[in-house]
Amino acid sequence: MRSPGGSTEHAWTVAILVAFALLALLPLLTARDDVLNFVFLVLLSITLAQSWNIVAGYAGQVNLGHAAFFGLGALTARTLWIAGTPVVIAMVAGAAIATGFALLIGAAAFRLRGAYFAIGTLALGEILRTTVGNALPEISTLPAASIAGYRLAPRYYLALALAALSVLAVAALARSRLGLGMQAVREDEDAAEATGVSALGLKLRALALSTALAGAAGGVFAYYHISYYPSHPFGPGWTFDALLMTFIGGVGTLQGPVLGAVLYVFLKEYLTVRWVDFHLLIFGALFVAIVLIFPGGLVQALVQAGNGARRRRARRRGATT
Amino acid sequence: MTLLAQQIVLGLLLGGLYGLAAAGLSLVFGVLKVLNVAHGELIMLGGYGAYWLFALLGMDPFAALLLVIPGALLLGAGLYTGLFGFVVRAHEETRIKNSLLVGFGLALALHALAVRLWTADDRSISTGYGGAVLTVGPIAIPLIRLASLLVALALIAGLHLLLARWRWGKAIRATAEDWQAALLTGIDIRRAYLLAFALGTALAGAAGTLVSVGYSISPSIGLEWTLKALIVVVLAGLGSMLGTFVAGLFVGVAEALSAAAFGGPYREVVGLVIFLVVLVLRPQGLFGRASR
Amino acid sequence: MLELRGLEAAYGDVPALSGVTLRVGAGEIVALLGPNGAGKSTLLGCVSGLVRPRAGSISWEGKNLLTIAPHLIVERGLAVVPEGRRLFGSMTVEDNLELGAFSPRARAARRESLARVFALFPDLRARRRQVVRALSGGQQQMVAVGRALMASPRLLMLDEPSLGIAPQLVRAILDALVEINRAGVAILLVEQNVRAALTLAHRAYILEGGRVVGEGAGADLLRDPHVRRAYLGPLAAGG
Repeated sequence: MRSPGGSTEHAWTVAILVAFALLALLPLLTARDDVLNFVFLVLLSITLAQSWNIVAGYAGQVNLGHAAFFGLGALTARTLWIAGTPVVIAMVAGAAIATGFALLIGAAAFRLRGAYFAIGTLALGEILRTTVGNALPEISTLPAASIAGYRLAPRYYLALALAALSVLAVAALARSRLGLGMQAVREDEDAAEATGVSALGLKLRALALSTALAGAAGGVFAYYHISYYPSHPFGPGWTFDALLMTFIGGVGTLQGPVLGAVLYVFLKEYLTVRWVDFHLLIFGALFVAIVLIFPGGLVQALVQAGNGARRRRARRRGATT
Repeated sequence: MTLLAQQIVLGLLLGGLYGLAAAGLSLVFGVLKVLNVAHGELIMLGGYGAYWLFALLGMDPFAALLLVIPGALLLGAGLYTGLFGFVVRAHEETRIKNSLLVGFGLALALHALAVRLWTADDRSISTGYGGAVLTVGPIAIPLIRLASLLVALALIAGLHLLLARWRWGKAIRATAEDWQAALLTGIDIRRAYLLAFALGTALAGAAGTLVSVGYSISPSIGLEWTLKALIVVVLAGLGSMLGTFVAGLFVGVAEALSAAAFGGPYREVVGLVIFLVVLVLRPQGLFGRASR
Repeated sequence: MLELRGLEAAYGDVPALSGVTLRVGAGEIVALLGPNGAGKSTLLGCVSGLVRPRAGSISWEGKNLLTIAPHLIVERGLAVVPEGRRLFGSMTVEDNLELGAFSPRARAARRESLARVFALFPDLRARRRQVVRALSGGQQQMVAVGRALMASPRLLMLDEPSLGIAPQLVRAILDALVEINRAGVAILLVEQNVRAALTLAHRAYILEGGRVVGEGAGADLLRDPHVRRAYLGPLAAGG
């Protein structure tokens, strides 16, 4: 199995952070809003995917209610920020609410295993979406003054900072005792429990980290959009996007969600231009292929291509494999 | 009071379709240990099948069942052979997770395809006898929905008999209970899987047909019906087709009662909340056996 | 008829069988003895097709069995009574027996097979409509043996049939095995009840740690000092 925290991942962490550093310069180099919006979307997606990856890849559970935490973060942050709270504090509050809710339902949720956990969290997400949609049916729009003073740059940098934070969090997690414990639980929960590892404790910590990042991402979303329906960030589409990105990239790896997010957003924008509704058809098919043929996603494909190339080089040099 | 009774009757009629929708999902999950989250999309396809048979050929939807069901059987066989047949090669835990993901990808693709082919509009079959109503005291029972309930019940009873008497039906049950023992007994479990999946899809197609004539369909009903089916399956537990049908009725009535108590928009929420509560407290459902 | 050569099997990195060579001839009763974890069940798993060996060969009536799917192995004349019986608990005795004759060859002979099973185990005829889950351990074991017999096997393999069964019923089952053998069916018996197994068997193998450490005629092994010390002493399962 893969070893998180290995030297490949270390190299990738550095590479990604360097890329982020370069991206920090982007607003200084271009005034083109469409480019900055695109990169913003990629950065937000990276955070969403990476946060989902923590529970799926490291704790081994498919959380189909991820959007609930994204939505809670957005709702909290939006409410506080419009009321006058500085945006970063509003975001932190959003993350806190999301995490609080996660811990509240976590113990009960983790009584469920495998598929039951997945559909249970799906139902939970839908309950929240429907309830928020009924309680707050009207569109949420920024006051005119905020719209007039809207600047893309602070949104961009917040998204960038959060994306970097999520990558660092996963990098740290992979090497930490928490991360190794999670891996043990993911590989064989009963065996891990037998050696004294508290599976529930680990899963809850994973969930807390995951939902904190998702909630913060929700805050960024709320800060970014001028107007949207409050129930929109609770929609299952956000969860499914995160799921697709993480799996296509390579679940349980550090670079997987990043690669997946970049590819996904890029293809979505590109395919939408060329073949309007086909992008989901293609993603669906691609996703199925990934699950069945390359469960490790792009990362696995790259590794295999790399191994294949190494073997060919060795053979050409006449070395025995 | 009469309004409440009327709502309950309507809930019961809808619940029968929930039961039918759930039966197919339950069969596939119980036998293959595969959670096909594209089940709702299969229901949607069944609905469109009936719709186009009506719109293009003028075929009565209840008669269309005779075409939709075999068609869905073939579709199910095809989906198993081309897709889920690969998912079942994995060990059970991986299998469930993979099926979830594969089903998800399939649902995405089917949904996008449906939107592309038929637009996102709602569609419904309106036959000549569509408005007919059976009046029992103050309660009005739409005949089409009543007929749908009876058809659903008949199909479920038929499935029950098939599983109880048909040689391959017994093989399917045996495979569901212990696939290794089934293999040792000489049963080709892959054929059992194929049959179960085909039957599950056929039930979905039938449910879709009934939905298109009694209610309405659109490409988006997939997720909604998958969730409904899941709720009923979790409530009923695995192993009993008739139990699943009854659980469906229960969910239909529960929704009606909650709509009466809390108002329309919260109708959906109640089903989901019941689902979660049962899932956490009693994963084997109300009728299922407490196995693992 | 059944020949295993150099069979190697492992679960992940844990070796279960190493270089096992074993033979069951037509009409023989061969016992497979050994402590828990010795690999006996794994061996049966390999023969029945549920476990894929890492190396070695299994041949049946001259033909290689290794790449054949388990349900097709049944068609070729091998049937297993698995450890713990593995019956279809929610189904009736009759259904379980009927399913035993699922493979085409067995299906053709199912009426005769059923008659033979009821002749061997008259108790089952009375209980044919009962759900298997409701039966006692011993009765379930009879159903399990009956189910395997319904497959019209030429080799019947049993994995610990006496485990957890009351002594009188064990006697009945072992007597039935003798009957079955007399009718021409070879038997490979994995058994904890060493004394009973050796009394019944023509030949026996002793498996320890995944290797064959002893082999011989049943009667000889009964007298063998090592066997007596290891398996017939105060710690071993009594007769």
